[in-house]
Amino acid sequence: MKRALTIAMLVLLAMPLLYAMSQLPPHGSATSPAYTHISPRYLERGPEEAGAENVVTDVILNYRGFDTNGEVTVIFTSLAAVLAVLLAGRKGDERPVREPAAEPSPPSVVVRFVVRLLGPFVTMFAVYVIINGHVSPGGGFQGGTVFGALVILITVVLGRSVAEKLQPLGVRRILQAAAPLTFVAVGVLGLALFGDYLAFPRDEALAWVRTSWLMVIEIGIGVGGAAIISAIFWQMGGDR
Amino acid sequence: MTASALLVGLIIVPLAGAVLTPVVGGRDGARACGWATLVMVVTSGIAAALVVHVAQVGPFSAYLGGWEPPYGIELRFDEFSASVAIICLLGLLAVVFSLRYAAHELPPVRIGTYYTLLLLNLTGMLGFVVTGDVFNLFVFMEILSLSGYALVAISGERTAEMAAFKYLVMGAVSSLLVLFAIGLLYALTGSLNMADISARLSGAAEAPAMLALALLTTGLMVKAALFPLHVWLPDAHAIAPSPVSALLSGLVVKTGLLGLIRVYQIYYGAKVLDLSALNTVLVWLGAISIVMGAFFAIFQEDIKMMLAYSTISNIGYIVMGLGLASQYGMIGATVHIFNHALIKATLFLGAGAIIYRTGYRNLTDLRGVGRSMPFTTAAISVGAISIVGMPPTAGFLCKWYIALGAVQAGHPVFGVALVFGALFIFVYYIRMVNSFYFQQPVHPEILEVKEAPLSMLVPILILAALCLVMGLLGRIPLSFIEPAVTRLLGTVGG
Amino acid sequence: MIAMLWQNIDYVGSVVLFCIGLYCVITKNNLIKKFIGLNIMETSVFAFIIALGVVDGGEAPIMGAGASAPFTNPIPQALILTGIVVAVSTTALALSLIIRIYEHCGTIEADELREME
Repeated sequence: MKRALTIAMLVLLAMPLLYAMSQLPPHGSATSPAYTHISPRYLERGPEEAGAENVVTDVILNYRGFDTNGEVTVIFTSLAAVLAVLLAGRKGDERPVREPAAEPSPPSVVVRFVVRLLGPFVTMFAVYVIINGHVSPGGGFQGGTVFGALVILITVVLGRSVAEKLQPLGVRRILQAAAPLTFVAVGVLGLALFGDYLAFPRDEALAWVRTSWLMVIEIGIGVGGAAIISAIFWQMGGDR
Repeated sequence: MTASALLVGLIIVPLAGAVLTPVVGGRDGARACGWATLVMVVTSGIAAALVVHVAQVGPFSAYLGGWEPPYGIELRFDEFSASVAIICLLGLLAVVFSLRYAAHELPPVRIGTYYTLLLLNLTGMLGFVVTGDVFNLFVFMEILSLSGYALVAISGERTAEMAAFKYLVMGAVSSLLVLFAIGLLYALTGSLNMADISARLSGAAEAPAMLALALLTTGLMVKAALFPLHVWLPDAHAIAPSPVSALLSGLVVKTGLLGLIRVYQIYYGAKVLDLSALNTVLVWLGAISIVMGAFFAIFQEDIKMMLAYSTISNIGYIVMGLGLASQYGMIGATVHIFNHALIKATLFLGAGAIIYRTGYRNLTDLRGVGRSMPFTTAAISVGAISIVGMPPTAGFLCKWYIALGAVQAGHPVFGVALVFGALFIFVYYIRMVNSFYFQQPVHPEILEVKEAPLSMLVPILILAALCLVMGLLGRIPLSFIEPAVTRLLGTVGG
Repeated sequence: MIAMLWQNIDYVGSVVLFCIGLYCVITKNNLIKKFIGLNIMETSVFAFIIALGVVDGGEAPIMGAGASAPFTNPIPQALILTGIVVAVSTTALALSLIIRIYEHCGTIEADELREME
């Protein structure tokens, strides 16, 4: 009954949605407002103005850099939120430590060997994705996620103590805040040098500065993203 | 320092402060609290300077990255953005209040995270009200929503986690509606800058523009907890730690309303649609909200639950005032956003102090507390008088203006709903004050409890004093916001 | 209208997906399934916005040797990269809440949780 009612309601909801969709500019048309208003400038002048051949990177890090600044803050917020929810509560409210029915058998030698073997290559791929983000698909988020996945893999196969060596406790809090802090640092530098928050050097002769500036942000995002992903994973696995 | 640099600083200072809180504070709650206080003092200073600046020269912008709009993101500070002042003030007081409260009520290991989330929540709100770009608005909305969900759950109680989950599901759906609408607006105009969208929307197809408006309004009204989209609010606001309740009830729900004002700015300027149908719906839902919120509040035993329902009815007042689309109604509604934040923070922090000292939350259990905690209960009484809307307190002028707005818009019947709602509200606050002062205590030990500690009492008394002062100086915010409302309504010739 | 809908079939797809997601959020009893519904809704909105950026015959907007116009619109792609990160963050928090609810109550079925209250 509830299902039938919901379906009926959703069909009613879909009608105006579909009607509105039929009135939108045709899909794929090169004359739609979306394609003729702002994006032409990005496509034509992005690489010279903003410093990266990949125009998506230009938009993310330069034209709309402030959105990305907010976005890395969202990831940081999610880490703080997960910690707030999962960190052990007051006495008597500790998260129950589940006794495993049997001692879990450690992964076989083959798995451990393969993971050790893969580690350096995955790391290299992550670094490649991060620093190549301005000329090809990729960038800080993607590279950071690849590295975060490696940390998770190491945690699962080799144990958390091995994985944690990749992020020493002393600097872990800084690493987790790396992405927003990089943005703030670069932004304030732009404010001091060029008069606007997140402003990049515009001068023609300074193209290489612009590109390396983008790279610094990408690395910051990558490091911060990887640190946060692994921290969330460890927390969900239980800080026990 | 130029105004645009200050405007950026308003967001960047609390943001950097938030991400550095774990580094500076570690798991030492007192140090984290000191750091957060410092950050909020600096931010409040910036906010004050900005409000003075906008009063002198009118609206101004900051271009991020130096890209002129619509190519880059614009921060826009107008008279409506002056609500940053109240956000900073309440944020500062809530942080100070938390020093003792958090140490007592929260699991110790979570206290550092608590301040981080508090600062992130404030960052999100500050960004939300000053941004001039619809997608940037969405990003800041997510910062404030995510930190809000976590703050509700932070006490680690089972009920708190369930309330947070309910809040999260409704909040996430509403965020998606807003994002969908942003996509539609982008498809129609090719732009994300609010002023630019408004200018380019005039030639657009009507149906998608209307759908975008409907999605935006629905999404923002879930955040604002307008009836019947309020189901998440009572649990979340009642169960959260009291300083968080004060922020959620005083400010976070208001961001939905400030967002609605931004939507009005886009659509009134574009003249693509006749908004009177939307306004009628909002006025009716506002009126129903007033009555239903007040009605449910009467039956609540739990003091914070009662305050949470009273928020729903006050949101009703504001939405009604906005929907009337008359000069007086809109001025009254905008100022009520500000005044209700003050009043509700007084009440929630006061309730928090009482719960901290006595450990009871129910009105019956709290009988007689007025004799042992005279200052706190006096402050709560001031808040109660204000929220009913008796002169000479902060609540009176804006409700009077909304009622005038109803007459001005030619719907005096809504003025009646307003008075009716005020009567309901009067009943349940009288009940509260009565049990504090005039009834025999159920628990004799309640007469022995001490007055709240200074770090709690001072914020409460400051807020209560402001409730009175804003009542006496009520004309100042009214005349401050008037040019902005005239500009907004002037575009429709109403 | 049907012709117009056919032309905009990509947008129609995201509307359908949106409704399926909303259906799961409303009717599913298991909290994780509810949240999967929410993720479906998120995906539908992302797909819609990405589809806005498509241009017939467009290539990836990466300049440099060998690149030739037309290029697809980079803005929706940039927006959705942000959107995905936001969705991941929400998911992380929701799953944490579900973990805690399970530890407290021993169930994540919405009706059983309601009975407990």
